[in-house]
Amino acid sequence: MSTAEFEEIATTTEAMDAAVSATAEQRATEMEAKDVSIWFGQRKVLEGVNIAFPKRTTTALIGPSGCGKSTFIRTLNRLHELIPGAALAGQVLYEGEDIYDAKVDPVHIRLKIGMVFQKPNPFPSMTIRGNVLSGLKLSGLKRSNHDEIVEQTLTAAGLWAEVKDRLHSEAGALSGGQQQRLVIARSLAVQPHVLLMDEPCSALDPGSTLKIEETIRELSKDITIIIVTHNMQQAVRVADYTAFFLAVDGNPGHVVEQGPTTEIFGNPQDQRTLDYVNGRFG
Amino acid sequence: MSVATEEKRDLTAAALSHRGDRVFNRIITGCAFTALVVLAGITVFLGFQAFPVLQDQGISFVTTTAWDSFGTPPVYGIAGMLWGSLLLSVIALVIAVPVSLLLSIFLVFLAPKPVSKIFTNLIDLMAAIPSVIIGLWALYILQPTSVEWATLLNKYLGWIPLFDSNGNFIGSPFTAGIVLAIMMIPIVTSVTREVLGRTPPDLINASEALGCSMWTMLRYVALPYGRGGIVGGIMLGLGRALGETIAVFFVLKLVYDVNWFHILYSGGGSVATLIVAKFGDASGSLEQQVLLAAGFFLFAMTLIVNVIANLIVARTGRVKS
Amino acid sequence: MTTIIFDETRVTTLQQQTAQKPWAAKTGKWKAAVVLAVIIPLAITLALMFATDLPKALIMVVIYLPIQLIAGALAATATRGRKNALDAMIIVVAIGATILSLVVLVSVVWAIIAKGIPVLSGAFVSQNMTYISPATPLGYGGIGHAVIGTVLIVLISAVIAVPLGVATAVYITEVRGKAVPYVRFFVQAMSGVPSVVAGLFILTVFILTGVLQTSAFAGALAYAILMLPTVARTAEEVLKLVPEDLRTGALALGSTRARVVLQVVLPAAKTGIITAAILGLARVVGETAPLLLTVGFTDKTVVNPLTEPISALPSFIFTYVSSPYPDAVARAWGAALVLMILVTVLFVVTRILTSRRPGR
Repeated sequence: MSTAEFEEIATTTEAMDAAVSATAEQRATEMEAKDVSIWFGQRKVLEGVNIAFPKRTTTALIGPSGCGKSTFIRTLNRLHELIPGAALAGQVLYEGEDIYDAKVDPVHIRLKIGMVFQKPNPFPSMTIRGNVLSGLKLSGLKRSNHDEIVEQTLTAAGLWAEVKDRLHSEAGALSGGQQQRLVIARSLAVQPHVLLMDEPCSALDPGSTLKIEETIRELSKDITIIIVTHNMQQAVRVADYTAFFLAVDGNPGHVVEQGPTTEIFGNPQDQRTLDYVNGRFG
Repeated sequence: MSVATEEKRDLTAAALSHRGDRVFNRIITGCAFTALVVLAGITVFLGFQAFPVLQDQGISFVTTTAWDSFGTPPVYGIAGMLWGSLLLSVIALVIAVPVSLLLSIFLVFLAPKPVSKIFTNLIDLMAAIPSVIIGLWALYILQPTSVEWATLLNKYLGWIPLFDSNGNFIGSPFTAGIVLAIMMIPIVTSVTREVLGRTPPDLINASEALGCSMWTMLRYVALPYGRGGIVGGIMLGLGRALGETIAVFFVLKLVYDVNWFHILYSGGGSVATLIVAKFGDASGSLEQQVLLAAGFFLFAMTLIVNVIANLIVARTGRVKS
Repeated sequence: MTTIIFDETRVTTLQQQTAQKPWAAKTGKWKAAVVLAVIIPLAITLALMFATDLPKALIMVVIYLPIQLIAGALAATATRGRKNALDAMIIVVAIGATILSLVVLVSVVWAIIAKGIPVLSGAFVSQNMTYISPATPLGYGGIGHAVIGTVLIVLISAVIAVPLGVATAVYITEVRGKAVPYVRFFVQAMSGVPSVVAGLFILTVFILTGVLQTSAFAGALAYAILMLPTVARTAEEVLKLVPEDLRTGALALGSTRARVVLQVVLPAAKTGIITAAILGLARVVGETAPLLLTVGFTDKTVVNPLTEPISALPSFIFTYVSSPYPDAVARAWGAALVLMILVTVLFVVTRILTSRRPGR
């Protein structure tokens, strides 16, 4: 992508505005990865990752397949440890505290740090309404305003208008894009402060993708979003900050460069970053 | 560039740091070991009964035949029963294995799909018929017919000791063997049909393209491919036959002496049937204990057969060339 | 080379073509050979059966079978060549084996229906056998107590075995502990335990030691031993079909493991677990040997599962068959019919449930 093309996109999106205002204000750090290295058994897949995620911003993690972005994002909400042989070095700080500290309950931390996956996974045995509220049921949170929560979260996810008349129908009958938005609403119902998104649009059609990107930009005003994406235009459209991951020749992956999206795409410091964002590999 | 000193932490324990999860896991793990507990329990408790009997009677318990509850000392020997169980199983195998194989070949390779589906369900229904009903049918309907066949066999082939007669054909191992075969066939067919059905279509297509006859395809492709599974299925059926009690009870006359191979003689043995037959009027706790000891041997026999069967079936899950 | 354009005038003729299968055409010669090969041996056999009084079994095996084999081989040789003679013979014996098996099945079913239906009546199914001696004619007394007994024993057994079986499956597919291969091995080994040994075990451990009386509960324990492996195996298969991303999604929402299993995985596998339970029921409902050793016998209707002997369909049949009174035997056939209906219903239900399940 040439600088001219980039500027054309950037000047017409809100990401540009957000990036500008982000640099103007001093924002508190919501989450931070400090010297994080990740292993699967003996195999080291990620090395020395240091990223700070400021509050109420969107950060995109980009890079070619297999360089550890999805694995990294799973260490942010303690899903990585479910894999046998998982190991970690370094710290993952949430509001200043290491989430891997022995005192921290992984179940509890996942309420604060939610996740949306690549393949929409609504619960097939529940209705739409049931799915939205399932997060509350599963985590044991008691709330009395269920109807309000359902409407609020579905609106925030951009799905309310389409399903408000069939809240009691099966979730499985929705299209892929609708299911993904339902999943987003479901994640929002437990009121997370951070939302992790692992390539949420890669299984969806372009129309749904744009709707979800719209949702992300809106949500970013209230919560911190970290999104893994293969789609560089998407990163430009939604992210305030971007981190570029790379793994070479079976070596562990690492972060080559990170910073405001405008800089990464418009003025990258590292040659490899330049090559990647210009589509020369990936 | 890696940080000079990194503390790598294994996360497996962290995954279960939620206390409720640990409790849940423990409960589920406990439940999962029920099977082991039961098996161990059977081994221990029945073995507990068998051991003193073996001590008391010596090894002759399994090598001789006797049932003298009132003698001093009482003498018991279940050799006739043990051998009888084996003999019945052999008769059943001789009948059931060819029939099951042919039946499977019909279901998998010969019958059109709708016919195959219906017949498969019918054969599976046969497996579900309770043994007491089979026994009832065998007593009233099979027995007259099998006695007729036994008479014929004896008339024309009686010069072979195998088909020798002692005057009466009712209650012979022959009939009991047929009944066991009828109960074995659905099980063996079910496994064999599944195994044959899993023969890779590529191999079958290849043999068809070469112009092979069905027999050649069976002999060189389907049967070798499924050999392990078929043997496993046969052993599973064998396990069931060894443990079959009620159906045999109706058509076999229990006799303590060993009937080595006179399948048309009236009188034979079966450990399983012995237990059911004698338990009602077991006189005194020693006789009860003897029957429990017999149960232990039955358990051991069927356990070994089943374990081997499952090992064979499991091993052939891997593809052989 | 000149271009050839599709001739539009041919469209009408082409539209009148009918679909045919030239490869499946059977020549007249083939049809004749098959008909002859089937009819001639049959004719010879039937003629011999009616004309002489050689025993039928002898004729079937010694005469019909070889003649049919030869006829089949000849027919195949005549139409397709010598290579297929062996094939023809295999077809003959394979069909023979199938017919034989079906004859047996039909014979069993026919016997039960024919001998059981005359005995069936409303009274038969609802009354019990108190004050009825074996010699009492039919019309009085029935199997009501046996039906209740069977239902009671089987239900208690399910209450014990289904949760344990599902828990075993949950251990294998959800907890995924280190002992999984061992657990599966033990479950497989347990499925081979003969029913009489299960009865013997409960007898030895609970009844002879005085912990339990001869009762429905004891019988249910013995049944549970037989039911557990079936339920566990089927439940494992079914749980494995639940997509992994449902579990991950639930965990990501802040769910504990227990809730993932209880509120997401098990509901997703609802139908399959019901199928597993019904398969377990079908497995035990006709087992007689354990009952003989653990529940005793009685004529009256018993609903107390703990302290007294109880009657059940299989043990009823077993006891009454051995009676010298024809009416008692007739009652046994009636009970056998009821039991068979029960088994068939369970069988059909499981087949329907299994065919509707995705991924099968």
